[in-house]
Amino acid sequence: MLSFIARRVLAALGTLVLSSVLVFLAVQALPGDVATQVLGKDATPDAVAALREKLALDQPAWERYADWIGGALHGDFGSSLVSGKTVGGEVGMYLSNSALIALVTVLFAVTGSIVLGILAGLYRDRWPDHLISTVSLIGMSVPEFVVATVLVLCFSVALPWFPAVVLYGPEASVGRLMPAVWLPALALAIVMAAYIVRMARTSVIDVMASEYVTTARLKGLSTWRVVTRHALPSALLPTLHVIALNVAWLAGGVAVVENVFNYPGIGKLMLSSVQNRDLPVIQAIALISAVVYVVCNLAADLGAMALNPKLRTRGRTR
Amino acid sequence: MPDIHRPGRRSVLAAAAAGSASLGASWLLTGCTGASAAPALPKGAKAGTPDRGGTLRIARPPASEAETLDPASALSAYEYLGALYNRLVRIGADGDLAPDLAESWEPDAKARTWTFRLRKGVTFHDGRALTSADAAYTLRHILDKATASPQAAVLAPLIDPAKLRTPDAHTLVVPLKTPNAEFPSLLTHYNCYVIPDGSARGIGRTGIGTGPFKLESFAPAGPGRITALTDHWAGRPVLDAIDFYSVADMSARSNALLAGQVDLLSQTNLDFATARVVAASDRATIARVENAQWYVLPMLTTEKPFTDVRVRQAMKLAYDPEHVVKVALQGAGTPGWDNPVPPSDPGHLGAHPEHDPEQARHLLKKAGHEGLTVDLYTSSYDPVFTPMALAYQDSARRAGIRVRVKTASADSYYTQIWMKKPLMATYWYTGRPVDQLFTQVFRGGSSYNETAWSDKAFDALLDRARQETDDERRRELYGEAQTFVVEKGGAMTPMFADRLVGISRKVRGYAEHGFEFDYLGIGLKGA
Repeated sequence: MLSFIARRVLAALGTLVLSSVLVFLAVQALPGDVATQVLGKDATPDAVAALREKLALDQPAWERYADWIGGALHGDFGSSLVSGKTVGGEVGMYLSNSALIALVTVLFAVTGSIVLGILAGLYRDRWPDHLISTVSLIGMSVPEFVVATVLVLCFSVALPWFPAVVLYGPEASVGRLMPAVWLPALALAIVMAAYIVRMARTSVIDVMASEYVTTARLKGLSTWRVVTRHALPSALLPTLHVIALNVAWLAGGVAVVENVFNYPGIGKLMLSSVQNRDLPVIQAIALISAVVYVVCNLAADLGAMALNPKLRTRGRTR
Repeated sequence: MPDIHRPGRRSVLAAAAAGSASLGASWLLTGCTGASAAPALPKGAKAGTPDRGGTLRIARPPASEAETLDPASALSAYEYLGALYNRLVRIGADGDLAPDLAESWEPDAKARTWTFRLRKGVTFHDGRALTSADAAYTLRHILDKATASPQAAVLAPLIDPAKLRTPDAHTLVVPLKTPNAEFPSLLTHYNCYVIPDGSARGIGRTGIGTGPFKLESFAPAGPGRITALTDHWAGRPVLDAIDFYSVADMSARSNALLAGQVDLLSQTNLDFATARVVAASDRATIARVENAQWYVLPMLTTEKPFTDVRVRQAMKLAYDPEHVVKVALQGAGTPGWDNPVPPSDPGHLGAHPEHDPEQARHLLKKAGHEGLTVDLYTSSYDPVFTPMALAYQDSARRAGIRVRVKTASADSYYTQIWMKKPLMATYWYTGRPVDQLFTQVFRGGSSYNETAWSDKAFDALLDRARQETDDERRRELYGEAQTFVVEKGGAMTPMFADRLVGISRKVRGYAEHGFEFDYLGIGLKGA
């Protein structure tokens, strides 16, 4: 078991190092000289020279990479080219706002879709199943910004229950942001839900057809007890992986939805940094996204192992 | 391209979101009413008197974190500047010059020295009285290389900062290097707002001016608030305060308006689908700023085949501007006939060559470019670019010109395409006085000369015009300059478009033209 964990962690670390190199190279590969690209066409040669020096463009690439990654390991991502603030603090502020959305989304999506998935599985091929499957598939097929816009039209414009956009900056308190969190979270949850619903449904159908469930039924247990005590844990297992992957997807999906709602999160920061060519910020966000992705995958694998006796004992039997 | 309006540079993603948002919205709303024919958009804002007081909420595209309130170097904070500061001279509703901080101004006989007499009893927000020293300091600040003011390129050839004179507290004398009868009009630019003497260091954050509102808070690319002065020299503003919010995505901005979170969308030209949705809502409507956007198809005169003036003439004669207005603007604008001076400008020359595809064909044949094929670049940066390009393509086909419309990425459009590709679609805000317009965009060597057109005869004509002290004669010379640009220049001006401004139904007294905005009269009714 230990060797399995070690291998997974090593692979995750390898992926991270590789992605940090790719992020760095991608930024280096931006068309034209980075300094002129950042400063725009009106830049004076003096300003370009000053920025080249600030970005240390005169040093070899591997040295700059070493500097950057060394700083990043200590939480120092340099300072923003546009605002001059430290990238770490800036990204952290936006990231915590996004984390708020992500948390609510995951709560919505996971609880909601597992319940729906189980219902669909239990009522297989009857109307609740058809309804849940169809609606969740529609939710999955429609792009998140359309879902978001429809939600705004329904719940901000037609029924003024929630704010349509966030008018505050990134330093707004959680209390001020809270009313604005629900619609973006719901939009993301709707898009995420279909995968989890499908997975939970299939697992429930499989598990309910298995012998130990039949045994449990024969013992005379109620359907509720069979589902909660016997079927659910096994049915959750494959779902867990899908949930983890969806949380990783959130890192990207949140970018589009945050812009529809003008929500001061990491997605909005990313978009404006790309537009302003704020390289240190882009690098930091790309790296953090990679970390989120890798950690989610790792968590999914390790979680699956913890819940699956076959995987857990494989190391020993070998 | 800092001088043109940047509607919050959106990425392809965000632009796609905006497009689909308006689609979704129009589908929902028109779906309910079953309206298939496009309803006409309202012409102007609601008339009537506003109630005194209240707070107006304005959503604007965020500039970068580097945004500043220093008027000399500001590139986007128009809304703040107009409320916080005054210029010496402004442009009146009729398009002519009107007094602002200067009560009067007069040149010497040769228009070589200009004397401005300042209004008395004007104070800055920090209590200091306005004097001629502040006005002189403002000009020196604009001309200072460290300020990097875009207007320096226009003023530096005219003014020697060391020679400015302030004979008394309310008189500013500006000796010019070369005579210029249009000099005061150059001071109407939004970089020329007057700041207090010696304030260069802090002005970008303090916003201390003489305007009807004073700054309460300001965050670059974030929210801000300005409050009305009760004892302003020009009278008390109707409003108590204005709140500014930064909303990057255009669809998010219109959603905020539809949901009643804001009252006005500034620096936002709504696309037609969104405008219809806004106009159909109970809370908001559309106000048009007539001819506010100058749309251009610049041909780079240094790139083949546009190096040949006959090809440029053929490109212009080949298409019908009326067709472009009909298709791309759904009629909400005026045909430009390749004259960059807007019809609302008093100096506008009405005469123009007629649409003539046969002559275009003939010119192309003579130039050896029969059956010309050109690439025309566009992007989702502005909703009108692509319809304009397609309408041009359609119209020019009759002259045998094949136009391939190519879509480029919006976020690098002004670094990779503008002034780089031989033919593309772009726009400017109107509101530049004639001399400013020609000097900035058409004079050889100017940094905003987007066609790279350099014609000594044209530059000489400009020099003659600006030195002419007889008003009637000068107007004729600027008219000749317009004909010159139409016949030989590289810029095609298919049209001037009305800006479609999203505005709450509660707003009264909204008046905007060019870069001028009436901050005294705007207010709310029944808020």
